[in-house]
Amino acid sequence: MTFLIQQTMLYAIPLMVVALAGVFAERSGIINLALEGIMIFGAFIGVLFVNLVQQAGVFDAAYAQDNWIALQGFELLAMAVSALMGGVFSLLLSFASVNLKADQTIGGTALNLMAPALVLFFIRIIASQNTLQMATGNAASWFMIQKSDFGYGRNEEMGFLGSTFLDRTYLATYVCILIFVLLAILLYKTRFGLRLRSCGENPQAADSLGINVYKMRYIGTTISGALAGMGGFVYALTTANCTANGDVAGFGFLALAVMIFGNWKPLNIAGASLLFGLFKCIAASYSSLDINGDGVFLLNELGISSHFYRMLPYLITLAVLAFTSKRSRAPKAEGIPYDKGQR
Amino acid sequence: MKKLVALLLAMIMALSLAACNSNDASQSADPSADASEGTQSGEPANSGSAGEITDPDSIDDDMRSEDGTYQVAFVTDVGDLKDKSFNQGTYDGVKLYAANNGLSYKYYRPANNSEATDEDRYNAMRTAVEGGAEVVVCAGYLQEAALRRAAMEFPDVPFIFIDGNPLSDEAGNPLTNVAAISFQEEQAGYLAGYAAVMDGFTSLGFSGGGGGNNDACNRFGYGYLQGINAAAAELDTTVDVNFSWLYGADFQASTDLQTMISGWYASGTEVVFACGGAMFNSISNAAATNSKYVIGVDVDQSGEGDFVITSAMKSLADAVQWALGHVYDETFTQIGGQATKLGAAEDAVGLPTSDEAWRFETYTVEQYEQLYQQLVDGTVVVDANFANQANTQWTNLNLNMVE
Repeated sequence: MTFLIQQTMLYAIPLMVVALAGVFAERSGIINLALEGIMIFGAFIGVLFVNLVQQAGVFDAAYAQDNWIALQGFELLAMAVSALMGGVFSLLLSFASVNLKADQTIGGTALNLMAPALVLFFIRIIASQNTLQMATGNAASWFMIQKSDFGYGRNEEMGFLGSTFLDRTYLATYVCILIFVLLAILLYKTRFGLRLRSCGENPQAADSLGINVYKMRYIGTTISGALAGMGGFVYALTTANCTANGDVAGFGFLALAVMIFGNWKPLNIAGASLLFGLFKCIAASYSSLDINGDGVFLLNELGISSHFYRMLPYLITLAVLAFTSKRSRAPKAEGIPYDKGQR
Repeated sequence: MKKLVALLLAMIMALSLAACNSNDASQSADPSADASEGTQSGEPANSGSAGEITDPDSIDDDMRSEDGTYQVAFVTDVGDLKDKSFNQGTYDGVKLYAANNGLSYKYYRPANNSEATDEDRYNAMRTAVEGGAEVVVCAGYLQEAALRRAAMEFPDVPFIFIDGNPLSDEAGNPLTNVAAISFQEEQAGYLAGYAAVMDGFTSLGFSGGGGGNNDACNRFGYGYLQGINAAAAELDTTVDVNFSWLYGADFQASTDLQTMISGWYASGTEVVFACGGAMFNSISNAAATNSKYVIGVDVDQSGEGDFVITSAMKSLADAVQWALGHVYDETFTQIGGQATKLGAAEDAVGLPTSDEAWRFETYTVEQYEQLYQQLVDGTVVVDANFANQANTQWTNLNLNMVE
């Protein structure tokens, strides 16, 4: 059970944050297809930052002394840097779609095509290979929270809650959840959020009430870029051993699907990504999955073909979509460049 | 607002340009002070006798020759050059030989990464030959078709085919300019599996690359099982083994692989043999997360972390240097057109036995060397024909094929 929860979180959290990134852009009226590209860029920036800081030796002393709090600070710093650069990268999209009034789908696709090429180009220059890695050590030993950090010995038990939510986890996961909650509140419970959403529904009406639609769309897309960049680094950190290779395994596109699946609403998105993550996790590990801790690998014993388990996440998504898509409604003005003259 | 954004974008452009400039500069500055003459910058000049370079990491991967031609060329297998494994080990041999003999060297990476076609590989080989290569080292059996074409087109250039079989042209005549070198991986796998069980592990795993179609990985896996079975029989116990080719078809790291291996570790597996290039990243991530162990492959990977309990090595670097030696002392005809099979008898496979790499607690180096001697003199024979694996009735292990 502990294993299932932890692995599901590894899948679901980056998905959730990046899907929320999509919401912020689309609620402000910009279709952000570039999530995948921004994730790739953010992952690269984060890993590069970790690599450079390690080379500079800033946290060597903390690592040697097992000062895990300092190392968690290092992790947060890397997240912040990748978020920042993700936001900057997304300015390309906002500039094209707000100022130049270009087709947003094409703009996003352009970024998606550009990001892996650009990232690989830099990685080849920096590392003369196709993967950028940490300068020393591995992600688990540097950034993972372990029970030994809380003074537990190798054979001591932490209890269910401790071993599930503290031992072998990444702080990044919880920071993502926190940011997700805060931004969801920002979007739905504040004046700013209402204004942002109005720009995605009826920008003319918003403008007539004195809201600067261009500014709002810039802000929405930049928040979107920052979240996607951060999500990219979290993906690289927690599942790719803190390496960047110009690929995030289609998580950006999955996040777009999750966003639509979740009906552009934060709570639904959280549910959708957890559901999807859970079944992705089951698909990869069903053969050694011990759900209730009795030593029996139930799913394996059932004798169902492994292909079925691997199709499961997509089958479930299809099934849920079939029931919910009727109520699904995109922001009305998304994808339409705002033209002041048009009423 | 518009002006501000334009300014910002211009700055990003300028910054990124500056970034590549500075990197370029540092790169081109390096080799000029480096190994182009076979001496290292730190060593005194004309150090021909001052001892040879033994640490491949001290030799630059990208050297620049003055005339732009490169004498020793290396064409990589799928995966990265620095995969800490097959490509890197082979290239280490190239670098060591070239640096110690004052030769220029260069690596060529076929286009399209893991989806490289025969055409891509052939193009890499042709580029190498046209770039002045006096010998081309090709790593990986996947290059067979491309290599046949290149070898026929350039009959005067010797090719060294690592992990491959001898080639012949359409008429069936052997191509004498191709020296095929392969290893008895089954012996390395046997040693690793045997050692792990003798050290007290009772639940093991194997995660191999190539989706079960890579001969070298298949031999590693089959030998590994034989070693486990032999040791378990000796200890009179039964050992559980998870065995999988899943998520390894392109030898890359992936979330799915990491989740599957984490699942094994969480359900009791203690040590997993990570048999394939960059897959190591996912598997070691899972091992570090769960405080469990990994067996490395091809080269000594103990430097990656304490969780690497041993590595099933084949001495790629030595074999490459040995073959290059044949090229340059004009004895290539002895190995050209033939299959050279290197194993324990040639000291070409084994486990690392240095103090820092030997992490077994009860199994000792002496015991290991005894077993090694038995492999050398033929007392212990490891079956290399992995086609037999499916029909083998294991006496002392429960094999769980994960698929």
